[in-house]
Amino acid sequence: MNGLLVRAEQVSKIYNTNSHHTAGVLDISFSATAGEMVLLLGPSGSGKTTLLTLIAGFIQPTAGQILLFNEDIQSYSQTKLQSIRATKIGFVFQSFRLIEALNVLKNIELCLHFGGKSREERHRTARQVLKNFDIEHLADRYPGQLSQGEKQRVAIARAVANDAQLILADEPTASLESGQGFEIIRLLHDYARKENKCVLVASHDLRLKDYADRIVNFENGRIV
Amino acid sequence: MYAIKILFHQPYRYLLTTGGIGLCIVLILFLLGIYRGVADGSVEYIRQNRADLWIMQKNTTNILRGTSILSTAHGYVLRDLPELENISPILLLLSTIKMEDKEATVFLTGYDLAAPYGGPPEIIQGQSVRNDDEIVLDISYAEKHDLEIGDTVHLNSYALNVCGFSTGTNAFVIQYAFVSLQRAQSLIDFNNLVTCYCADFKADSKNLLSPRELSDEVPGTVVYTHEKFLKNNIREMESGILPLLYAIAAIGSVVLTVILTLILSINILEYRKDFAIMKALGSPKGYLPGLIINQSSFLVGSAILFGLFLFFPMVKLISKISPEIETITSTGHIITVILVVGMMSLISSFFSIRKLRKIYPLEVYE
Repeated sequence: MNGLLVRAEQVSKIYNTNSHHTAGVLDISFSATAGEMVLLLGPSGSGKTTLLTLIAGFIQPTAGQILLFNEDIQSYSQTKLQSIRATKIGFVFQSFRLIEALNVLKNIELCLHFGGKSREERHRTARQVLKNFDIEHLADRYPGQLSQGEKQRVAIARAVANDAQLILADEPTASLESGQGFEIIRLLHDYARKENKCVLVASHDLRLKDYADRIVNFENGRIV
Repeated sequence: MYAIKILFHQPYRYLLTTGGIGLCIVLILFLLGIYRGVADGSVEYIRQNRADLWIMQKNTTNILRGTSILSTAHGYVLRDLPELENISPILLLLSTIKMEDKEATVFLTGYDLAAPYGGPPEIIQGQSVRNDDEIVLDISYAEKHDLEIGDTVHLNSYALNVCGFSTGTNAFVIQYAFVSLQRAQSLIDFNNLVTCYCADFKADSKNLLSPRELSDEVPGTVVYTHEKFLKNNIREMESGILPLLYAIAAIGSVVLTVILTLILSINILEYRKDFAIMKALGSPKGYLPGLIINQSSFLVGSAILFGLFLFFPMVKLISKISPEIETITSTGHIITVILVVGMMSLISSFFSIRKLRKIYPLEVYE
């Protein structure tokens, strides 16, 4: 149990639309621990993103139980969930999801603000994180002035800024050229290993297999 | 920071919104200014004629929208009362003054030149009426019609010399003008008619007779103290044009709220992805509503500055174009408007914040 951050037990998510039932995930059991990068591999619609959103608490499972940081996620209040997202979980999205109106530094500071850091601490930490990722020179630039690869580096910097225990990365390389993609995966892998954190990467890209500590294959909402 | 940044991301929209709300604020301030101006101007004549008593025809409560006809015989009765002194007859008529190429109506006030009450409250240029061939005009009326001291105007067949200009005699929709009682009476061909009388109690008789007892002494009249008569006239005026001003000011406030709500809502919809990202990243409960309130406050703050910047030059310009439009704006008015606009800003925020509920963090995965 030591280092176990996420555990899903026989989790299903069924979407009901117009008397139509669509399975997001079906009867999934899965766990992830600190210090590893787990690749959730599968084609589009196989349920890997659904699992990430379940772990983040954005949606509730139809059946089963998800333990996040050793507590049933359904027992968390909305406020507690928000606080966990702000302080313990980092998010990396396929299309980066940086705030266009804020420069790179402010994007990271915003996340730290949600984590309850003081103004001074926010500024200092954001600078340090940018430095750690070798993107300090981008601090004053706006997302619109960055390349795709730079945007994703900033997004990862934002995700780890609050010293997140768990990173949920959804197709982090899908919008990038392969060279940039591998670089991003290496960054995430390094973060998991060096900082003893857990990184869950959902991707359909088979080439990422070599970088993962563990691979979980998805198909039609099930782990195969 | 983010709240202000996204406002500046659309500078034209920001300027238009600030302009729109600013103009609403100007409108509200202007109407409040007119309200005060009318409220003060309409009754200033009565306020300044500080007679102890106003004696009117029975069932008349005011001179602004009431008709009172008394005869000079009432004056004799009043003069015979041992408790009263300074009996001052006044005749009020709506009359048309003819100038060289135009004509305009005035509230013509005929008063006994030898009596202490009935004349203009304050002469700011020239002098008061000395004989039957002179007239004192309200200053805004004179400015509007380009009249100067020494000019000649006509009332029916009488040529009158403009001898002075008065203030406190602008009732917004009409202005007072002053002539001798004889001249006013000759205009209606009834030399024994007046509208009312002003009178004072003799020093030693002040508490001997009540207005009601005085009314009984002079049949067909009603007697008011100065305070009561002033109140009657203020109430009369407030039930006339002023509700309309309030209604327009209220509409201005509603328009302001609607503009603000629309802009805030549009911003939320346009930046809904940002709001979804913030929700996903764990923004605390009050953070996003706080952003909207900040935006709203910033917009309103800019609009207030713009409105105040525009208001005073605009009032000056309007008073040049239409001198009879008299506005009085006090610090209290400005503070009231700022408070009202602040409240509207909160209402707008409240309506807009409801839209945030329909933004889901899951949208970041779309």
